[in-house]
Amino acid sequence: MSKDAELVKKLKNPALKDKAFSELLNVYQERLYWHIRKIVGTHENADDVLQNTFIRIYKSIANFKEKSSLHTWMYRIAYNESIRFLDKNKKRSYQNIETVSDTSLQVLFEDEYFDGDEIQKKLNTIIDGFKEKQKRVFQMKYFDDLSFRQISEVLDVSESTLKSTYYAAVKIIEQKIFL
Amino acid sequence: MEKSTENNKNQNFLKEGLKGDISTHHKEYLGTTIPKDYFAQSKLSILDKIKEEARVEEDSKKQNVFYLQPQFKYIAAATLVFILSLTVWLQNSNNSNLEIETNFEEFTFSDDVLINSLLIEDLEIDAFAEATLFNEVVVKAELTEQKIDNLILNSLIVEDSLLDNYIDDELLETIIL
Repeated sequence: MSKDAELVKKLKNPALKDKAFSELLNVYQERLYWHIRKIVGTHENADDVLQNTFIRIYKSIANFKEKSSLHTWMYRIAYNESIRFLDKNKKRSYQNIETVSDTSLQVLFEDEYFDGDEIQKKLNTIIDGFKEKQKRVFQMKYFDDLSFRQISEVLDVSESTLKSTYYAAVKIIEQKIFL
Repeated sequence: MEKSTENNKNQNFLKEGLKGDISTHHKEYLGTTIPKDYFAQSKLSILDKIKEEARVEEDSKKQNVFYLQPQFKYIAAATLVFILSLTVWLQNSNNSNLEIETNFEEFTFSDDVLINSLLIEDLEIDAFAEATLFNEVVVKAELTEQKIDNLILNSLIVEDSLLDNYIDDELLETIIL
């Protein structure tokens, strides 16, 4: 039995759930944080979404049917929570005229927890210019170190499409980064 | 020479994937950082929130159990019916008390009599009582009786007049026809 399968078994046992959940946080908290941070931009937003993600995981672990790996299932929850957060923020920003002009990049560069130099700013700008799916594929592969199979389960896209999308993104970055 | 170094740098920029620490990897490529001891603090905060959520959920479950129990529904319905019937009964009994009070009012002594009774000397009290009893009770009773008689007579007269009208009409109809 794999470590994840063992963890799921413990999480589904009410007597062991809390201890197993603490273990789950030790293993996945950091990975999920960075996955979320790249979608929502700032640290403050990522912190909020991370909390919501783990609360949802805790609540719905009993319904986890183990058709995918625990790892992929949690990434999908984190991804959905981040998108939900962005949608909610978009609606809010339409009501507040001052925030409409702020792009996600501006918000990121002004964040207290961004310390990037010119090259890092440039990489962020190039990634931000990608189409939504290409951006997520590149981030999940290059920064989150997910396999194409795992990404295809999270985004519900075929592996072959993902591979071509990813390599196209890498090519664009390599061409543009030191221009 | 300078150009070839730049080309190497260009080609190797994305060659190194995630090796070891994921936070360092993000800082190195994207320039994103986190507060000191963030993950330890965040873990505690998440666990606290989960405890709080679990407590709130348990409270709402307890409330649901109370509302969902069928015996509580029956008790609540029975209580409601009881309160309604009690209200109706109390309202009716209040009305009948009012009627009784109204009737009794006719048979109570007037204030004048009561004041006069204080001024009468002990020797004359028996005669005063007799006279008062006669005036206040017997006369009042007779007046009430008269009122009732009048009412009955009036009703009879009205009924008779209606009957007369009816007979007259019938008679007229018979004659004309």
